[in-house]
Amino acid sequence: MSVDMTVRIGGLQLRGPVMAASGTFGYGTEVPLLERRALGAMVSKGIFLKPRHGTAPPRIAETPSGMLNAIGLQGPGAEALIRDYAPQWAGWEFPVLVNINGESVSDYGELAARLDGVPGVAGFEVNISCPNVEQGGMYFGNDPRAAAAVTEAVRRRTRLPVWVKLTPMVADIGVIARAVESAGADAVSAVNTFVGMSMDINAYHPRLSFGTGGLSGPAIRPLAVHLAHQAARAVDIPVIGVGGIMRAEDALEFLIAGCTAVQVGTATFVNPKAIADVHDGIAAYLATKGFASLAELPRYLPRD
Amino acid sequence: MFLTDARVEGRRQVARAMWVITLDAPEVAATVKAGQFVNLGLNPGPLLRRPFSVYRAIEDRIEVILQAVGAGTAQLLALREGDLVSCLGPLGRGFEIRSGGRSAVLISGGLGVAPMPVAARDARAAGLQVTWVHGARSAEDLCSESDGDAVIVATDDGSAGFAGTSVAAAPDADLVLACGPNRMLAAVAGRWPDAQVAVETYMGCGTGVCLGCAVPLKRGGYDLACTEGPVYRAGDVDWAALPSHLHYAATA
Repeated sequence: MSVDMTVRIGGLQLRGPVMAASGTFGYGTEVPLLERRALGAMVSKGIFLKPRHGTAPPRIAETPSGMLNAIGLQGPGAEALIRDYAPQWAGWEFPVLVNINGESVSDYGELAARLDGVPGVAGFEVNISCPNVEQGGMYFGNDPRAAAAVTEAVRRRTRLPVWVKLTPMVADIGVIARAVESAGADAVSAVNTFVGMSMDINAYHPRLSFGTGGLSGPAIRPLAVHLAHQAARAVDIPVIGVGGIMRAEDALEFLIAGCTAVQVGTATFVNPKAIADVHDGIAAYLATKGFASLAELPRYLPRD
Repeated sequence: MFLTDARVEGRRQVARAMWVITLDAPEVAATVKAGQFVNLGLNPGPLLRRPFSVYRAIEDRIEVILQAVGAGTAQLLALREGDLVSCLGPLGRGFEIRSGGRSAVLISGGLGVAPMPVAARDARAAGLQVTWVHGARSAEDLCSESDGDAVIVATDDGSAGFAGTSVAAAPDADLVLACGPNRMLAAVAGRWPDAQVAVETYMGCGTGVCLGCAVPLKRGGYDLACTEGPVYRAGDVDWAALPSHLHYAATA
């Protein structure tokens, strides 16, 4: 028996609820042993208008059940993305959203305008939550007015779906989620990495050259499930759960917590087939429970 | 590139704190080139895989060499015959060993010996006379295995062979390959800018998507040890900007 795994997010119909999270899948052309059949969608590595070198090494540090990273959004910039990657995406059977970044509100709008209408670009995930850039990034995600301003700047320049990726480093994620919903977001991704730090006790210095980094992996999963749930209770637009999903059971926690879909990130570093494993595991679980579709999965979403 | 559960076939000690483990990994064994690596994962185990140069490839088996430097490597060393390790590889671009010239010198420091037996095999196949140069802190730390038409050892404390570094002990050759701590490779770059060196970095995925293993380049910017490396022209790397406080081929 085959289970109907399709989901709708904003204007997009996805064949499954499992997506590749930004920054863990490159531009989709690098991943080895990729099983495309399982991908609901892909979110590209975050880009800025202009190319960026990224931060100096060391850029990653393993922590208990997690990893810190400070890559600094290394990337080729919009023109290279349009030239080298988008034409490949145009032929793929799942949508590719571009994770967009800026140092100012107008940067975001300009980048969206540049990419709008480019074949292969199916939508945007607005990154107002990167902890590893000197300017912009998480600053916009901390403040409801700034978050709304960025969302609106993108919304004005495109008719494509606009998702906004939220930072967990806030007192009340519901406030930010509502602000971007009001500003025209079609969905929110919850959550980006947590800011963390680890010291090299022999060098008397942080293990990352940037000092701080974004914590991902199973270590953050219960925190992320809670925040995604809070976001889902706060808004009517779909919430995409992300944070430490390694297996189908983890993804199901987010879905039951009120998420419409999920993103798998760090797991891909460990297991290049993680997305397929999660997708197949969800389908098997639903079949075992006797559900004909993902839509039938009970959600825990009490109304305030 | 292959993802397989590789069976542990054996383990032997080759220096005071260095072991070789043998894994059954036929696809990797059949395709690996000198300087390429595998990313090994344990479940249960640390979150991230650990990168290891392939030390030798014999029929269906590969060997990797390791030192217990942290929880991950300690767990790998505790494996017994028949245990399974998740093996992803071969990864990276290895040494380019072409015919032409007459001599090759393979210079290693400590765990940097890791890619050299396969390099010796390929260099000999290319018709080159191979000089094997291996250095360590002291006699007990030297890898007991070698493979060259001539073998030179060096120790920092002078307890065996040449008293000094492997770089200082090495003769000139048409092809220079080196692997070891980044400080040592910086010395190689000073003497032979055209040498091919395999660098050490922290590594996440090993496949080019996490961007964690950045290698700073003299021309500016970074590229990735896992896909564009780990072998570089020595003169191309900005050694002053490449951290050198971790052991080769082991991140925790």
